[in-house]
Amino acid sequence: MRARQDQMKIDFLPVLAVTVGFLTSAGMSVVAADAPENRTLGFVVQGWMPSVYETKFIDECPAGLNISNDEIWWRTLSKAERSEKTQDGLITTLDRWFLAKSRGPKGEDVCINPEVIKDDPPLLTVEGATSFGVNLDGNTDGSATPKTCTHENFISPVGVPGVDNQLYRLIGCIYGFRDQGVIEINANEMRRTSGLAMILIEVTDVDDAKNDDDVTVTFYRSIDQFPLDSSGQVIPHSSYRVDYKGGGPRYGDSLKGSIVDGVLQAGSGDVRLPYYGNYNYMHPVIRDMQIKLEISDDGTNSQGTVAGYYDLEQYLYLTGGLGPVISTGNFSCPAFFDAAKRMADGYPDPDTGECTHISSAFEINAFAAFVVHPDQSSNMETAER
Amino acid sequence: MSFFLHSKKSRRQMLRSMMGGGVVSLTLPFLDCFLNTNGTALASGAPIPTRFGTWYWGMGQTPGRAVKDKVATGPGIEFLEETESLIPHKDKLNYFGKFNMPLDGRSNYTHFSGWVANRTGTAPEAGGNIPAPTLDLLIADEIGKGTRFRTLDVSSVGMARQNYSARNTFNRAAAEIDPVALFDRIYGPEFADPNKADFKPDPDVRMRKSVLSAFTEETKDYMKSLGAVDKQRMDQYFTSIREIENQLALQLTKPEPNLACVVPTRPGELGPDEVVRVREIDSVIETHKVMTKILAMAVACNQTNVFNMVFTDSFANVRRVGETYTHHLLTHEEAIDADRGYQPLTYSFNKASMDGMASFIDIIDSIPEGDGTLLDNCLIFASSETNYARLHTIDGVPVYLIGGAGGRMKQGMYVAGGGDPITRVGLTAMQIMGVPVQNWGTKSLETSKTISEIVV
Amino acid sequence: MLISKMKINIGQIACVAAAIFALTACGESEPQTSGAPPDMRRLTSEQYRNVIHDVFGEHVEIASRFDPLVRTDGLFAVGASKAIITPSGFEKFYNIARSVARQAVDKDNRAVLIPCAPADALRANEACSRQFFTEVGRHLYRRPLTESEMETAVSAANEVADQLNDFYSGIEFGLTGLLVTPSFLFIIDETEPDSSSLSGLRLTGHAKASRLSFLLWNSAPDDMLLEAAETGALHTDNGIERQVERMVRSPFLARGVRAFFEDFLDLEKFENLEKDTTIYPAYTINTAESAKEQMLRTIVDHTVNQDAPYPEIFTTRKTFIDSHLGRVYRVPVARPDGGWEPYEFPEDDVRAGILTQMGFLSLFSHPGRSSATLRGKAVRELLLCQKVPDPPGDIDFSLFNDPNAPSRTARDRLTAHATVPSCAGCHKLTDPIGLGFEQFDGIGQFRVAEQGAIIDVAGDLDGNQFADAKSLAQAMHDSPSVPACLTNQLYSYAAGRAPERDEREFVRYLEDGFSDSGYSLKSLLRDIATSDAFYAVSEPKRVDDGVVRAASFNDKTKQELGS
Repeated sequence: MRARQDQMKIDFLPVLAVTVGFLTSAGMSVVAADAPENRTLGFVVQGWMPSVYETKFIDECPAGLNISNDEIWWRTLSKAERSEKTQDGLITTLDRWFLAKSRGPKGEDVCINPEVIKDDPPLLTVEGATSFGVNLDGNTDGSATPKTCTHENFISPVGVPGVDNQLYRLIGCIYGFRDQGVIEINANEMRRTSGLAMILIEVTDVDDAKNDDDVTVTFYRSIDQFPLDSSGQVIPHSSYRVDYKGGGPRYGDSLKGSIVDGVLQAGSGDVRLPYYGNYNYMHPVIRDMQIKLEISDDGTNSQGTVAGYYDLEQYLYLTGGLGPVISTGNFSCPAFFDAAKRMADGYPDPDTGECTHISSAFEINAFAAFVVHPDQSSNMETAER
Repeated sequence: MSFFLHSKKSRRQMLRSMMGGGVVSLTLPFLDCFLNTNGTALASGAPIPTRFGTWYWGMGQTPGRAVKDKVATGPGIEFLEETESLIPHKDKLNYFGKFNMPLDGRSNYTHFSGWVANRTGTAPEAGGNIPAPTLDLLIADEIGKGTRFRTLDVSSVGMARQNYSARNTFNRAAAEIDPVALFDRIYGPEFADPNKADFKPDPDVRMRKSVLSAFTEETKDYMKSLGAVDKQRMDQYFTSIREIENQLALQLTKPEPNLACVVPTRPGELGPDEVVRVREIDSVIETHKVMTKILAMAVACNQTNVFNMVFTDSFANVRRVGETYTHHLLTHEEAIDADRGYQPLTYSFNKASMDGMASFIDIIDSIPEGDGTLLDNCLIFASSETNYARLHTIDGVPVYLIGGAGGRMKQGMYVAGGGDPITRVGLTAMQIMGVPVQNWGTKSLETSKTISEIVV
Repeated sequence: MLISKMKINIGQIACVAAAIFALTACGESEPQTSGAPPDMRRLTSEQYRNVIHDVFGEHVEIASRFDPLVRTDGLFAVGASKAIITPSGFEKFYNIARSVARQAVDKDNRAVLIPCAPADALRANEACSRQFFTEVGRHLYRRPLTESEMETAVSAANEVADQLNDFYSGIEFGLTGLLVTPSFLFIIDETEPDSSSLSGLRLTGHAKASRLSFLLWNSAPDDMLLEAAETGALHTDNGIERQVERMVRSPFLARGVRAFFEDFLDLEKFENLEKDTTIYPAYTINTAESAKEQMLRTIVDHTVNQDAPYPEIFTTRKTFIDSHLGRVYRVPVARPDGGWEPYEFPEDDVRAGILTQMGFLSLFSHPGRSSATLRGKAVRELLLCQKVPDPPGDIDFSLFNDPNAPSRTARDRLTAHATVPSCAGCHKLTDPIGLGFEQFDGIGQFRVAEQGAIIDVAGDLDGNQFADAKSLAQAMHDSPSVPACLTNQLYSYAAGRAPERDEREFVRYLEDGFSDSGYSLKSLLRDIATSDAFYAVSEPKRVDDGVVRAASFNDKTKQELGS
């Protein structure tokens, strides 16, 4: 989400010592070197949005944006059916979504059972050449590799070729996924206010928070919710406890990385993350994940990007379970599912040859946080900054 | 009156005997004391009482922008930008300009001496010291006995101590700062709706009265141990009990039907975020409206004849969201705009105060009563503690007398003080309200000169 | 227990040893005083709550607000000695009393709180009423009810029970009555003749018990103390010392010490504290409550649990935090979902002691920015007992309100305060101290620069130079005014009045004892509570000699009005 305007007129020390968390090495589950300068930086992710490149006149979608599930359903109804189904017009747009979802031949929910409909108009996908994202597969021609399926590449907005972002191609012409579209905005809101699936980022082995060529970046889930201030914004510098199960963290995948001029970069590797949004819970793996985070001086709002191959099955599970945003987001099953299978470009299934992951890129923003591990209860008096 | 003040013991005996008998024995002699100043009986067709109120705002006015000063007293007030919102009410109020507040060498305790001298007639000798009763209490002593509450004190800025009504430093009621608590206090189970056909005196109230009297009547052994000052404090305790007993007695009597009385809706509770914002000016304006509606209707329902409202306190700790300055700080630290010739942000707060006064008047004027409105039967003393806050000046402190005072005050007048002591205004107000006072105030603030130009 | 934890020399050891036995300050005997006239002090809201909770249980809710006391001579405890009850104040007390009484007799509580059950609950029962009022009355009034008081209570209960056909309603009304009389609402210095005292008077045993109990535990005397009063033990030195020792060792001492520091540091201001949440998003109502709690926990833990030297409250790095404070101080907390945990700031941290805690820093600031003057004034007036004069009424700010001035930090802005003569006189008392805290913003968050300019936090405390807030705190620790101020205020709090003229020697004696004990607060409390001065009473002032000017003006005005 867009960062809130920083209202403060006071400058903070560029050194992050005063603004980010520091935990002692004693009692931590992640083993750290015992160097005296050994520090930990902590972040909690608040905003997570797919990077969708848009032009002013929607040139990337020359055939226009996709019509919604509601519309597809509505067009199949005769006047008499329309009257009957909507109780003579009493049930209006948003409320139609439930009826529209159940337009399978036997009344099946077509988002959960997309294969029962074969003749929906195919999903309009992005035809533009530009996209945000990263070259994940190492080549610039989109040809298949042992880990990938054939696909078209994009050029980044600053002209770098070979960008792999099939997720953008898939969702870029759906109103609800574009800027100001409700699907992801709603998901972010629900995370912000529920505290579900909060991602913690812990950067350890940090000797110098501005420049360090060897740090470890680990991802956890928090069991504590965001504290919100009186205008509903997340308050930075809060403490969050890591979700542990059976003696170890429930998540906890790591990437190696470095910090250059206050920009953290790590990857690539496989990371499993918690996910919650629009009433759905998942725990997708992002394979070959890379993360880049510009650490802000005062620790409040760090902006960053994440790229990698997103677990397609989990992604489709999520989109299959979308609620009313199907309506307001002009989303439609089953064309989406069909297109998704074709767009997938990562990690082919050894038996079917179909790719099981999809290249993607996301924008995130994160707040300074203290990542608290369970075995640190009363060691706090020895904490340093 | 004399019966009431001097015969406490026999009155208590009266009450006790009343307990055994019936409840609605209105003809008992002590009720003579509940008459209004005109001495007419409280039978149906009683004249509408004249009420007295005060309204307070902090930080005075912006010089040259509020009300145009005139040389002579006369009809017609020229309202400038800051007081524009008062124009619709120009025929319902009087403005008093250029009255002075001589302190006879005592310090001007900033944001304190100004209101103390104005309302009590005496300048304080030390910060925090209130040397004499404020005029609203002197008036309440005259007209406040027949109502459930002697006075109602309300504040829109959430500061219970900042109530500009007191008998002395330590004898000062706390202002109601919570709209819900104010509503419940007035319209809770103890409220007798005058327009309800079926009135049943509450047996609980009867019981309360009986128990209270019994417990508080006896003089105690410990009184012997105490010195004179503590005995006075104990006296105040008994005075307070008596007022409560009066309240209870009134609750046992069927109130006269009163068309003006319409019970308002109970306000919603404040959320925690709203509590945090209590002194943001937008919040103050809202709270003020809500509280004024409740208060005004309480007056119309004859729950009290004397009421006090604080819009902003004398230190005006109010502010706007996102700004580091309070109104008070602005008055001192804001630079005078070279082009405009005044402090713009300060001006905006001063204007908000005048808008607040206008909304106060609006609300009171919107309650129909008799042939006119509640405002016609009120006299409201509205003032601040300073004229030009930046310099803490106390000469020319603005005072308004608002309302018809039951036909006893002329309206629409600009009164030129000519440097006279500001106590002339308070004296005149008290006389209009029927307080038998010939002169008021001490030292250079002492005066006996009524402002006859406004008296009918 | 009586020996402080500070390093002490042999002379002091011997001295302290003597003190254990004689319970007097070393090398001195207590100067005689003639006491002050007997007084009556209104219960504070905290005392009211404590008494009710002690008698009826913690679960009894007291929802309403109390009328505020007027802060006098720097303490509400002194204001309590002057407080009266206004009609609206009485209304509030009545409503609270009624609510408490209702809860006490409700179905869940009556079996526990009422020691007997009448055979017929629909009728009056004199014997059971009497038993209830005897037990409860003694604790509420802090002495047994007189026969006539008992008569009133019992016959009121009977009458109501008869009228309403409910024994428990009778108890409810009777109890309500007890809770609104002066004997409950005021702590009254009842006296009796005593030939051995200067004035021929002494406080009754019960009055002594009250003074002692409200000082040490901020509540009414418990059974053991009431018994000591009733057997006459409190009229003997030994009897008093035993009770004092018992009470000082009790966990309830923390309650009494808390109440003192809440008053001493004017922490009631938290109720009206307001901060701009746009400028300080980390500030919420919960944060403010935590800030106050942190100050009190730190002080109580330090002075009571650790019995550590009082001046170290300015330098100790040990404190307690919760998740709200963690965000303000930017330190991790182990239990973000709530609860307090001990925390020690690291040695090189910018913070140490209560003056660098959010509570102090935010209380004495403006809603949207810090204030060197307010903080400096608070240090002077509250902690050093030095009065800062009120600002003059006729200042012209145009002298230094230049909108084009390049001032970015508070120090720049306050330059005029320091240079213009009519301002400097008072501001030099406050600003140099307050500017030492400028690295902490309006809610106590740390910052190094303001509007791009590095903040200079050096200054001096009465000639004692400091480089930053921490060394300012050290200067406070070293200042002799600090313990002197505490002693004076603690004695005023105990007595409900500023010390009388002839008590000055006694206060000095207390100061010496405080110093000899290594500034142990518990030791000072013991010294006060076991002294003769604390219990001495002189003749009541029969005539109002005009000292309380309010009353005389009142009378004068009344005469003029002829009413």
